Amino acid sequence: MTKYLLKRLFWMVPLLVGISLISFLIMHLAPGDITTTEASFNPKASEESRQKLRALYHLDEPVLVQYGLWVKRIAALDFGTSFATHQRPVFWDKKDDKGNVSSGMIKQALPITLLINVLSLVLIIAVALPLGVISAVTQNRPPDRAITLFVFIGFAIPSFWLALMLMYWTGVSNNWLPISGLHSVGYEKMAFLAQGWDTLKHLVLPVFISSLGGLAGISLFIRNGMLDVLHQDYITTARAKGLQENTVVYKHALRNALLPLITILGLSIPGLIGGSVIAESIFAIPGMGKLFYDAVLMRDFPVIMGILTIGSALTLVGNLLADLAYAWADPRVRRGISQ
Amino acid sequence: MRAMLIKSLSNPLAMLGFIIIAAVLLFALFAPVLAPFDPDAIDVKSILLSPSPQHWMGTDGLGRDVFSRMLFGARISLLVGIVAVGIATIIGIVLGAISGYYRGWVDVLIMRLVDVMLSIPTFFLILAVIAFLTPSIWNIMIVIGLTSWMGVTRLVRAEFMSLHGREFVLASQALGARDGRLIFKHLLPNSLTPIIVSSVLGVASAVLIESGLSFLGLGVQAPQASWGNILTDGKEYIEFAWWLSLFPGLAILITVLGYNLLGEGLRDALDPRTANKSS
Repeated sequence: MTKYLLKRLFWMVPLLVGISLISFLIMHLAPGDITTTEASFNPKASEESRQKLRALYHLDEPVLVQYGLWVKRIAALDFGTSFATHQRPVFWDKKDDKGNVSSGMIKQALPITLLINVLSLVLIIAVALPLGVISAVTQNRPPDRAITLFVFIGFAIPSFWLALMLMYWTGVSNNWLPISGLHSVGYEKMAFLAQGWDTLKHLVLPVFISSLGGLAGISLFIRNGMLDVLHQDYITTARAKGLQENTVVYKHALRNALLPLITILGLSIPGLIGGSVIAESIFAIPGMGKLFYDAVLMRDFPVIMGILTIGSALTLVGNLLADLAYAWADPRVRRGISQ
Repeated sequence: MRAMLIKSLSNPLAMLGFIIIAAVLLFALFAPVLAPFDPDAIDVKSILLSPSPQHWMGTDGLGRDVFSRMLFGARISLLVGIVAVGIATIIGIVLGAISGYYRGWVDVLIMRLVDVMLSIPTFFLILAVIAFLTPSIWNIMIVIGLTSWMGVTRLVRAEFMSLHGREFVLASQALGARDGRLIFKHLLPNSLTPIIVSSVLGVASAVLIESGLSFLGLGVQAPQASWGNILTDGKEYIEFAWWLSLFPGLAILITVLGYNLLGEGLRDALDPRTANKSS
C-alpha cells in the first residue's frame, strides 16, 4: 500500500507542473499584457496599481523567469494580496507590521464550499443509489422508464434556471426557505442549535441545485453498472443456488457495482467545484464559487490565479483519495499492490 | 452514414430528439421571418406586459418582445454549440489520432495533457480565460472548444489502438500503405460512430455552458439576445414577471434534451454492446 501511495504521489508531480503551466499561459492570454486589460476594464486602475501588478508578476523579466518566480511563490503557498478588496491576502491569514491580522479570502471561503460539496455528495449517493438499483431491477418496465425520464431531464435542465424557479416558488411566493446568504439577520445572537438550524435552512436550495447534475449521472451509472453485473455468471450461480432475489441483488450484485462508483465520485469533484460558481452566485453564498465569480467581474487577477491553482490541487487530492479508497475496497487491486 | 441515421431514428426517443433539434434549427434559420417584432426594438409604452395574443411571451423590462428575442436567441445557442463542438472535435481527432497511431512518448505527453486539463475545474478554467479576454460570442465559442476536447481525444485514441491490430489494417500495412492512407482511409472512418455520438452530446453541454455564462453576464453581451441573458433579466424581475424566466429556461431544457436524446439514441442504435441495456 505504501509503495502504491508513493507511486501515486509521484505521478501528481507532472500534473501539478502541467496545471501551473496552463494557469500561467492563461495569464498571458490577455492582449498586450494583463496591466492593459486591467486598465481597460477598470477605469479606476491607477498607474500605481499597474506598477504593482508589473512588480508582482515580474512582467519586465523574460517569460521563463516570470514562470519560475511565479511557481516559486505558489510552491511557498504565497498567492499575494487581492487588488479589489483592500489588499486582503488571497490564501491564508497574514499579520501586518502593526500586528493586525487580516483574514485570508480562500481560507474563509473554502470550508463553506467544501461543506456544500460534501452535503451534495451525501445527497447524491443517498438518492442515486436506490434510483439506480430500482431502475436496473425493473429494466424497461414503468419504474425504470420513469427514472430514465428523470435522468434525462436532470441532464438537460439548466441549474441556474431551476434555481430561479425554486427561489421564486419557495422563497418569494411561499416564504418557506431563505433564498440568499448563509445566515439570517441576527444570527450572532441565536443559540447554538438555532444557528445550526438557520444555516441548514440556508443550505437546502444550494445543496439541491449543486447536486442535480450528479444525481442524474450517478443514477444512470449505477443502473448500467448493476445491469452489467446482473448478467454475469456468478449471479446466475447465486440464483441457481436458490438464494432469494433480494440477497442476490443487494449482497452479490450491488457490492461489485459499487466499486467503480468510487472512481466516478472522485472524477466528479472538478465538476462540483466548478458548479459552485452558479449555485453560490445565485444564492449569495460566500464560498469559493462566489469569490471566483466576483474576482472575474473585477479582474482581480491574484484571486483568480489563486483559486484556479487551489481548485485544481483540491481535484488532485480528491482523485488521490478516490484511488486509495478503491484500492482499499477492492481486494483484487489491494493484493495486486502488495505483491 | 445515411443507413446509420435511419437505423437510429427507428428508436422513438432518438426520433423525438431529432424532431426537437430540427424544429429549433428551423426557428433559428427563419428567425427574421418568424419574429413578429424587431428583437432589439425598445418600446417604453409596453414594458413588462404579460403574455397576450400580441406578445406571445410577453415583453421585458425595456418593452422588447420576448418571443422575437427567443427566436434570435436560438441562433446564438446553435451557433455557439456547433462551432464550439467543431473546434473541440477537430482538436480531439488530431491529438487522439497522433496519440493512438504513433504511441510512445508523444502518446504519454498528450495523455498527461488530457489529465492536466481534466484536473482543472472546467467552469473555473472557462471563467478565468474569459476574465483575461473580453466576453464576446467568438471568444465564448473558442473557449468552450478549447476546454472540452479531452473526451474526444481519449475516444479516438482508444478506437485507433483497438483497430490497429485488426486484419484489414495489417493487410493494408503489408501492402505498403503509408501512415496518411492508413489513418484517413482505414482508422478514422471506422472510428466515426463514437465521434459523432460524442459530438452530439457535446453540443448539449456547450449549449448549457453558453447559457450559464450569458446568465452570469460573462457570455453573449446585451443587447444581443441569448437565452441565457434573457434569464438574467428574468432574475431581476422574478417577483412580477414570471414569463421572463419561464420561457428561456424551457427553451434551453428542451433543446439540450433534444441533443441528449439523439446522442443516446445514436449510441444505442449503433453500439451493439449497449443495445441490450437501454430502452
